[in-house]
Amino acid sequence: MSKSKSEPLFRISKRDDISFKKALMIRAIALAAALLVAGIVIIMIVHVNPFKVYGTMFLGAFGTRMRSWVTVRDIMTLLCIAVGLAPAFAMKFWNVGAEGQILIGGISTVFCMKYFDNLPTFVLFLVMIITSMLCGAIWGFLPGFFKANWNTNETLFTLMMNYIAIQFTSFMVAKWENPFGSNSVGIVNNDSMRGWLPSMFSSSPGDDYGWNVVIVMIAVVAMFVYLKYSKQGYEISVVGDSVNTARYAGIRVNKVYIRTMLISGAVCGLAGFVAVSGASHTISTSTAGGRGFTAIIVAWLAKFNTFTMIFISALLIFLDKGASQIASDYHINEHVSQIITSIILFFLLGCEFFINYNVKFKKSSKKSKEVAA
Amino acid sequence: MKKVLALVFVAVLCLSCLAGCASNKKTIGVILIGDENEGYTFAHIDGIKKALKATGYSEDEVVWYYNVPEDETTYDKCVDAAEQGCKVVITNSYAHQTFAQKAAEKYADVQFVSMTGDTAKKSNLKNFHNAFNATYESRYVSGVVAGAKIKELVEAGKLTDKNYDADGKVKVGYVGAFPYAEVVSGYTGFFLGIKSVYENVSMEVSFTNSWFDIAAESSTAEKLIADGCVIIGQHADSTGAPSACEAANKAGTVVYSVGYNVDMLSVAPNAALTSSTNDWSVYYTYLFNQLKAGKEIATDWSEGYNTGAVCITKLGTSCAEGTQQLVDNAEKALKDGSVHVFDINTFTVGGEPVNSTFCFDSDGDFVYDQVEAIKDGYYHESEYISAPSFNLDVDGITKLN
Amino acid sequence: MDTNLAVEMRKVTKTFGSVVANENVDMQLRKGEILSLLGENGSGKTTLMNMLSGIYFPDSGQILIDGKPVTIASPKDAFKFGIGMIHQHFKLIDVFTATENIVLGLEDNKKFDLEAASKKVLEIAEKYGFQINPKQKIYEMSVSQKQTVEIIKTLYRGAQILILDEPTAVLTPQETEKLFAVMKKMRADGKSIIIITHKLNEVMEISDRVAVLRKGQYIATVNTSETNPQALTDMMVGRATVLDINRPEPVNPEPRLVVENLTCVDEEGVKRLDNVSFTAYSGEILGIAGVAGSGQRELLEAVAGLYPVKSGTIVYSSDYKNSKSLVGLDPLSIRKMGVTMSFVPEDRLGMGLVGTMGMTGNMMIRSWRKGKSFFLDRKSPDKLAQKIKEELEVVTPDVNYPVRRLSGGNVQKVLVGREIAAAPSVLMTAYAVRGLDINTSYTIYNLLTAQKEKGVAVVYVGEDLDVILALCDRVMVLCGGQVSGIVDARTTTKEEIGLLMTQFRREGAKENE
Repeated sequence: MSKSKSEPLFRISKRDDISFKKALMIRAIALAAALLVAGIVIIMIVHVNPFKVYGTMFLGAFGTRMRSWVTVRDIMTLLCIAVGLAPAFAMKFWNVGAEGQILIGGISTVFCMKYFDNLPTFVLFLVMIITSMLCGAIWGFLPGFFKANWNTNETLFTLMMNYIAIQFTSFMVAKWENPFGSNSVGIVNNDSMRGWLPSMFSSSPGDDYGWNVVIVMIAVVAMFVYLKYSKQGYEISVVGDSVNTARYAGIRVNKVYIRTMLISGAVCGLAGFVAVSGASHTISTSTAGGRGFTAIIVAWLAKFNTFTMIFISALLIFLDKGASQIASDYHINEHVSQIITSIILFFLLGCEFFINYNVKFKKSSKKSKEVAA
Repeated sequence: MKKVLALVFVAVLCLSCLAGCASNKKTIGVILIGDENEGYTFAHIDGIKKALKATGYSEDEVVWYYNVPEDETTYDKCVDAAEQGCKVVITNSYAHQTFAQKAAEKYADVQFVSMTGDTAKKSNLKNFHNAFNATYESRYVSGVVAGAKIKELVEAGKLTDKNYDADGKVKVGYVGAFPYAEVVSGYTGFFLGIKSVYENVSMEVSFTNSWFDIAAESSTAEKLIADGCVIIGQHADSTGAPSACEAANKAGTVVYSVGYNVDMLSVAPNAALTSSTNDWSVYYTYLFNQLKAGKEIATDWSEGYNTGAVCITKLGTSCAEGTQQLVDNAEKALKDGSVHVFDINTFTVGGEPVNSTFCFDSDGDFVYDQVEAIKDGYYHESEYISAPSFNLDVDGITKLN
Repeated sequence: MDTNLAVEMRKVTKTFGSVVANENVDMQLRKGEILSLLGENGSGKTTLMNMLSGIYFPDSGQILIDGKPVTIASPKDAFKFGIGMIHQHFKLIDVFTATENIVLGLEDNKKFDLEAASKKVLEIAEKYGFQINPKQKIYEMSVSQKQTVEIIKTLYRGAQILILDEPTAVLTPQETEKLFAVMKKMRADGKSIIIITHKLNEVMEISDRVAVLRKGQYIATVNTSETNPQALTDMMVGRATVLDINRPEPVNPEPRLVVENLTCVDEEGVKRLDNVSFTAYSGEILGIAGVAGSGQRELLEAVAGLYPVKSGTIVYSSDYKNSKSLVGLDPLSIRKMGVTMSFVPEDRLGMGLVGTMGMTGNMMIRSWRKGKSFFLDRKSPDKLAQKIKEELEVVTPDVNYPVRRLSGGNVQKVLVGREIAAAPSVLMTAYAVRGLDINTSYTIYNLLTAQKEKGVAVVYVGEDLDVILALCDRVMVLCGGQVSGIVDARTTTKEEIGLLMTQFRREGAKENE
């Protein structure tokens, strides 16, 4: 019998279901493999003990109390954007315009900080939150409206809206430039600290970012409930699965497009508020800083489950903090440290393949003989 | 499940322990706009390393932050450095200062230095400082080099009608970044340097509105060359302008380049005359010495030729004969104070000599409203605050945009 | 070892996740025979054939070609052994010509010569009696022409063993006749052919032997001459099924849906429905027959408010006095007017259901709007899902298990169950039993008949004429978007309907594709 002469080395088949335990095991193995491969690269490039490097990464994110808070703060901002993207992406509406929606939300926040700073604190925050969400919503509304009425391509449209927002930000930065010649707005209300999100456990803003966590977690829970338990969330799921089914079910698809983009834009605008009032207290074209795109990865990997997004955001921010800490501590180029974090990310994301698919390797020749017999 | 969790915990514990052992005492935080691949930042890294060696600090005591943009990230890094126990935190780009200042307010016992910044004096903070080399001096000297070349070209009859303006003055071009005082001070110093050797010149300045934009700098230089400019000076960080000069020079046009920051001979072996440049180690050595001795750090620090903080690069082969002698004389005169760059006898504004002007904006309205700058017959650049403040529109210089 | 065997499969097993598609299946194909592979839906016929053609690789078992054990790891390997499969969904490139599609991907070291290839294509066509224009582009072809290209593609590659997966599903009776003639010629030429089909009459007509699979397991192979449809059905379903469909006389029919001069055009401006007029009565099943793409889909969707109407009227009347025009209304407005119209669309997962949701979520397609609350009511749809799961014996691990993972029959049960549960006065179904096994099909027939008996106006778009003739009261035949006839199902014949289906084919053919 020459049965096993050219059986393929391995075969791939889709898994139906996988137990939580098994999935966790696969992820653990992936993490071990990632650390191993990254370790080899570290030894080759940086010539230091890889465990020290991993420790450095950990310290980069959580080394001091302030670092932990900054890490948490950045996780929250990224998470808020991803939560904003969730309804649009669940509807298969490719909103790649979060970047612009954040900026517009941020600009409106700065505007309120500058011109409404005489309002009572609570009212001021309310005004800031509402205007930032409103402005973000407008930025989301336009592509939704055009898609609904003229079937424009939302990817291009939202992308273009980003550039408009960036240019608008540059314009506002030039208008609010301080000090002259810095090409930046400087810190808004540096002395009065009006419109700065306060610290939760301390009297001076920026000592902790507890309120950022509160605001974003409210968004996380609200969006989860909205998508899963509301009628509008149901409409979004149906439209996302099939526009024809939605029409069949009596869903006004165009209305859903517009309404969902209003919500998506509003939450991204809120992220702009969180980024400005809760962290930077300034606005620049780098306020969004590509996070509007990173959040797409977060939303996708989490399969639009806003709670899963917490972990994904945390992972990405952790790696980011780790990378700059490696660069700083070992005096290496940041690109090198990014290679290391990329390796880890590659394995952790790559293992999703093994969770979704079953790979069977070639059986030993003895076993195949039994089968043949 | 429990096993996995336990494993993860153990791993995390091991890692933090290992990392904990690895960390040293940190004294100096350095926040940089770029990394060693970027010329301006490289010059700072180089200066800091030299200064560390000179003052006996170990490199292990330095926390480096690379590629920090001029936004809230700066504040995070300042805080991070302070939390790690740094005694001094340096930022190297202009707009870092707002965020450094905010951190300075919070960490009163940590010294913050914003290189090239200008708000230290106004902030009234004891622990917030600015430093800026007197670059206008080296620009003046590089102007001397250019003046000598112009003189040679005129005497050799190499210039054509195109190279003279309506008043019969030789045209000089300047690629500026932004129309800020730092740039105005620089090109005026350059202009006065030329005039100290060859009086009959006029200058056209064109701005790119970017500190670093090879394409824009190159096209701006080309425009100026086409206009008949014989010398192209620059206050922008790329090699765009020298490369454009070299190309035109090779094509037979009479044009030469005076660069900035780095030696341009590698990209323009024929067209480059020299570049004005800085040696940041002079300031950093001062800073670290003060730190070590526990002495106060100057709120504003600006030094030029007398401490060697500024200089020009090696003269190119195209330089006129006798240039070195002129350069030596000029440098000596600047050192001993017999010559001042902004001597009121050397320039006029609107046809009139200037006898009085302010140099400090106290209220943030972008208009100088305090501190008399002209004393003893010259404009005291970078004395009240270290950042350049000279922004008069001197006769003979035309802004094109 | 029997050297007369072209293919022998021994104890082949294939599993997908926890689903066993084939379990220890044996199959033998003799040289120069036509073997019918018969089985209910989900019985593993296509999976078995996909292993033969290299698309899947068996978990265990053995395949022998010409008595020699072989490994078929890819379609390329299959070609090497002379196996060619014609899939249900054609794998052709629309903008290429027939010849270009046929030679596509062919690796030989000879110079690429389209002219020579065209000549060879024509030779093959002549030999077996195909009609083909080698230079015609695929998008200009009818379904049967495309099928021809697929078959020639395999023959061109020297296939000795051909596998046809439900080749007649998309053909008219006349086209089927032609295909069978070609198949017989190929058999005469010594080719071995496996045909997968549901239609028992075709099995009886074309094949020499019949292999029967049931639930992934091999049952038996019998000589066609020694069996009959009833016996085959018994083997397939494992128990005797009554082939007769119960057809009570309509009771007290009243006009429920009156469509007059309905004309619809698509986005490209092509007329899809041309002046269609008919009346659907309460208490009867109106069958709609026609070659695929004759306007059936557009007609049902236009009535349901999902397809734009250019001109004409659609009037719904609950009794003689009360009539409502439905033209220009969307499904929501129609529902809000109080018209309970149920619609089982042709595209089950693309229009009728949400594939990523479970049964409960799909029940909500009808009920989600109910109530004033901002939040969804999940309880009653959940109950309904449980009820349908039990009553229609839907095989699913859980009512929240994504329906796209269910087999075709179960998907259809979910859809039909839901639509009937809405207590409609008009029930429209498009290809309600397509791809379903006999058992499920009968379940559906009985459900429709029960609706009819309740006084519902049922519209049944179907493709199996035998079923249409047995189930419906009247039959409307569409051809090229026009009504070519409305006949009494009790008195008409298959031949008459077949003729009506092709009556306007000359003009309509191009639009259909």
